[in-house]
Amino acid sequence: MLERLEELRHEGLTAVEASNSEDELREIEVRLLGRKGALTDLLKSLGTLPKEDRPAAGQAANRVKQEIAAQIEVARGKLHAFNLATDLAGDGLDATLPGPKPPAGGLHPLGQIARELEDVFQSMGFRIADGPEVELEDNNFDALNIPADHPARESHDTIWVTPEGDGRGKGKGVCMRTHTSCVQIRALREHGAPLRVVAPGRVFRQETPDPTHDHTFHQMEGLVVDKGVGVHHLLHAMNTLLEGVFGRKVETRLRPGFFPFVEPGFELDARCPFCKTGCRVCKQSTWIELMPGGMIHPNVLRACDIDPDVYSGYAFGLGLSRMVMLRYGIDDIRWLLSGDLRFLEQFRA
Amino acid sequence: MKISLNWVGDFVDISDLSAERIAELLSLHTAEVEGIETVGDAIADVVVAQVVSCDPHPDADKLSVTSVEYGAAEPAQVVCGASNVRKGLKIAFAPVKACLPGDFKIKKAKLRGVTSCGMICSERELELSEEHAGILELPDDAVVGTRLVDHLGLSDSVLDLDNKSLTHRPDLWGHYGFARELAAILNRELIPLPVLEAWPEGSTDLAIELADTQGCPAYFGLAVDLQDGPKAAPALIQERLLAIGQRPVNDLVDLTNYVLQEIGQPTHAFDLDKLSSSDIVVRLAKQGESLTTLDDENRELDARDLVIADKSAAIALAGVMGGAATEVGDSTTRILLESAVFHPVRTRRTSQRTALRSEASMRFEKSLDPNLAEQALRRFAYLLLNARPDARLHGAPASAGLAVAPETILALCPERTARLLGMDLSVSDVAQSLERLGFQVEPQGRLLSVQVPTWRSTKDVTTEVDLIEEVGRLQGYDQIQATPIQAPIVAPPRDPRRQLEHRLTQRLAGVHHCFESQSYSFLDDVWLERLSLPLSDFVVLDNPISDSMRLVRRDPVPSLLEQAHANLRERPSGQLFEFAKGYEPAVDGAAPIERRWLCVVAWAPVQKNESPLQSLFAHSRSMVEDVMATAGLSPHFEPADSVLAWAHPRLHMAARAHRGPEAARLGSFAALHPHLADDLGFDGYQVVVSLLDMSAIYEASKSAKPSFRSPSRLPGIKVDVALALPASLSYAEVEIEVRRAGGKLLDSLELFDLFEGGTLEPGQRSLAFRAVLRAPDRTLVEKDEQKFIKKVTQAAERLGGSLRG
Ligand SMILES: [Zn+2]
Repeated sequence: MLERLEELRHEGLTAVEASNSEDELREIEVRLLGRKGALTDLLKSLGTLPKEDRPAAGQAANRVKQEIAAQIEVARGKLHAFNLATDLAGDGLDATLPGPKPPAGGLHPLGQIARELEDVFQSMGFRIADGPEVELEDNNFDALNIPADHPARESHDTIWVTPEGDGRGKGKGVCMRTHTSCVQIRALREHGAPLRVVAPGRVFRQETPDPTHDHTFHQMEGLVVDKGVGVHHLLHAMNTLLEGVFGRKVETRLRPGFFPFVEPGFELDARCPFCKTGCRVCKQSTWIELMPGGMIHPNVLRACDIDPDVYSGYAFGLGLSRMVMLRYGIDDIRWLLSGDLRFLEQFRA
Repeated sequence: MKISLNWVGDFVDISDLSAERIAELLSLHTAEVEGIETVGDAIADVVVAQVVSCDPHPDADKLSVTSVEYGAAEPAQVVCGASNVRKGLKIAFAPVKACLPGDFKIKKAKLRGVTSCGMICSERELELSEEHAGILELPDDAVVGTRLVDHLGLSDSVLDLDNKSLTHRPDLWGHYGFARELAAILNRELIPLPVLEAWPEGSTDLAIELADTQGCPAYFGLAVDLQDGPKAAPALIQERLLAIGQRPVNDLVDLTNYVLQEIGQPTHAFDLDKLSSSDIVVRLAKQGESLTTLDDENRELDARDLVIADKSAAIALAGVMGGAATEVGDSTTRILLESAVFHPVRTRRTSQRTALRSEASMRFEKSLDPNLAEQALRRFAYLLLNARPDARLHGAPASAGLAVAPETILALCPERTARLLGMDLSVSDVAQSLERLGFQVEPQGRLLSVQVPTWRSTKDVTTEVDLIEEVGRLQGYDQIQATPIQAPIVAPPRDPRRQLEHRLTQRLAGVHHCFESQSYSFLDDVWLERLSLPLSDFVVLDNPISDSMRLVRRDPVPSLLEQAHANLRERPSGQLFEFAKGYEPAVDGAAPIERRWLCVVAWAPVQKNESPLQSLFAHSRSMVEDVMATAGLSPHFEPADSVLAWAHPRLHMAARAHRGPEAARLGSFAALHPHLADDLGFDGYQVVVSLLDMSAIYEASKSAKPSFRSPSRLPGIKVDVALALPASLSYAEVEIEVRRAGGKLLDSLELFDLFEGGTLEPGQRSLAFRAVLRAPDRTLVEKDEQKFIKKVTQAAERLGGSLRG
């Protein structure tokens, strides 16, 4: 009996030692420990032993049973760890595979920049104003102190609706607005002084399209009228605006510039972001002309029934199209109104 | 406009400043300098050389094979075709690898079998003059190996000014004006222009008549005799003209050019012997009159054009260009030099009508200082008499008319000046700035009385703020410290329309995967037919960019469709949207009527066996519903009753603010009409256009109230029912009946399947609904479900069909 037990123990432990699959371990389990297994049979045959030998034999048999069962569990654990390691190292796992393209939409960079700037200006107390793209000559020219015989009114600059004659040139015409500055007039006439306004929108010029010019482009007009407004305030507003566009402080300078509706008038230059010593974008000057502006001409204030002896104001015009091109490094303005998805997809919602 | 710094240096000492520094000073204080050219840069590689041997080419009669000594270790063998090449001649030589004007790089070459290493240059090849008859002959004392530019003494820098930044400054159209600016900026002395101070005694038989004193308020004519004909101008004159890109012609022409470039006043020399009379009249052109101008173009004149004429014909287009018939030529010995004042706007109009924008017209249209007219003659006479001892003036110029600059005296408040500029300025800062620029300043109480000089008073400086600008730019804008405005910030009223658009933009891009676009406002006439609209429905441009952009869009549908089509090849499916303004003509000639639209164009390839529930049209409907919901609206949809030419006659749904014929139309969506789809090249694609009226949506959204319904705590029951019904019944008709069957218990209803064929009878289709029934106060039981199914069955039978299960 005990010999048989020792035999089974030896057989079991050797088999467990030699096994290298779950199937083999299960087979050993069934063959030795199962309901019809050899060890179970042996236990069943305890009855044939003399009564006094039975407890010792029973204990010995149970010990062997437990020992084998424990060894099977140990082997099973090792096997599992081994299999896992094999799996992790195996083929069929390629972390570099691409995922499916998520459905995407996007915001136009012109819209994005306009909305961002609207936020910046609203936080500084500016209201957002709007005006028509097809505008009255008076708002586009006369009220802006642009003389009746000024070349800007002529058809090589301005796209007219009204045919020549027909009141055109006398403030009675209708044209595609050539700047957002006409919203100055609309806003001043509607709200009076003091006033802070920005007005984004599209404007139109007689222009043959090329990489840097288009007949339709976007501007944002800014205007402040209050008591004691000076050039130093304008400079501050322009700097703030550029920080909003580029997300950092920008070195700027003011130069004289001429526009009939401001006096003095300026061009604001910013340090070229593309170079240190001169490049093609800045025409080797290290400065880029970014924004015209100036102190609102007294004649403009008068045209809007505001007393220039009491109020003064500044105005600036930001070229949104140009800002977008500079911000993203867009090489051709005609992408902006192309509707080409390969262009639009690069600007995410 | 080009400005030679050597030339400017005649009138103000700038010898200690680099060209870069001067350019910067002018940019910061006066006008934008766009570039700096170093004169001679284009021929910097050309050296003085000598022909040491010269033999005929073995295989070509007209070529010579030369050996050229040019300062290198070895002489170069050069094949030359010029007839004046000869042994011993000093020449201008471009060795191999040198660059000539026009980016022409010299390479080793074989000419008729003989190697040639370099080029012996003519004046034209060096862009020194038009001379190309032979190679340039240099004097014998020229030193071999020195650079040609050094030999010629061509060392000058030329500033390129942006003309647009000068349009308001009549004083800056010549070198003297820039000298005056620099003298003021640097606070240095301005040297007066040397002129002939006193006209000689004597008189001319010239008689001048002004028939149009608005067009020409003053005219001077100076008669000059020369013993010999025109000659080459003095080297300095030629050099300077060359430096600024003007080709020298002869001394008479060159001197008129020189004076023009120096003080900005155009003059013109006529050959007096070619005039038919010594009576000159400045008059309007006659009907049908024509004139051949100096550029040999015969020009039909307009009765609004002003001409200079002798007894028989027009001899010049006033202020624009002289006539060819009276041009100064080789045989000219008597000239009439014209210097006049012409009306700025009329000169510009004539120059536009004739498409002739000359150096003269460009200046007259700026409102020149009238004093310059006589000044120019004095300067011309001074230069001519120095260069040509044989020249003789008959006396003072003949003249007619009178033109004086407006006498402008302005009151300037120094305190206001400082406040507006945001600068710390004393009264004397203000006064001195102006005086340096030639303004005369007198204190007058707390104010300054400022007299504007004639070269600034014609149109440029007319009000106090103009003076303030002068002070600011002379002081330097770099002194201004950016300062936030010191006024209380009042929270601005938000524009709710704009906020709504921003919300919808985010929704369309973020949830519906649409791309925000911007498209052009102009349409081609072909859209008249495509949209079946008459021309009178459009705002039409008088001078469009091109004929294909004559119409102003009424809405963005056409332009977005064109964008969609352009995308097909690279992006077979996609969705573009645009918030845009559209215009319609007003009836009474008032400003056009503006409408604000949201347009979405979606496209995708046609799918075989696609369920209508998955079609682009169905998706567009969901999108429109969601846009409306985002605006707080739950509109009523119905088949559109109006006929839009771009819309499919049946797949076209309109949204109204609520049920009922008087409800506001909010917009519609439609599959593209097959005709238009074909015409635009969309075959194989489904295209759906949604066009929403933002004004109407905004108005409707104002009365929309936010609403909330507590989610029920009691469970509902899901019931699926499929109905076989005649295919002619619309879903909308069926839905009404099913909803009615559900009554108050119907919590939600969704169509989840739709098919025809199979076991269905022909002409029938199956609609499968998922209904959720729920009561607010009790848990529903099987009896409720049975009751619902029974009612649905009855409804199906009423509609001519049956319940399928
Ligand atoms: Zn740069």
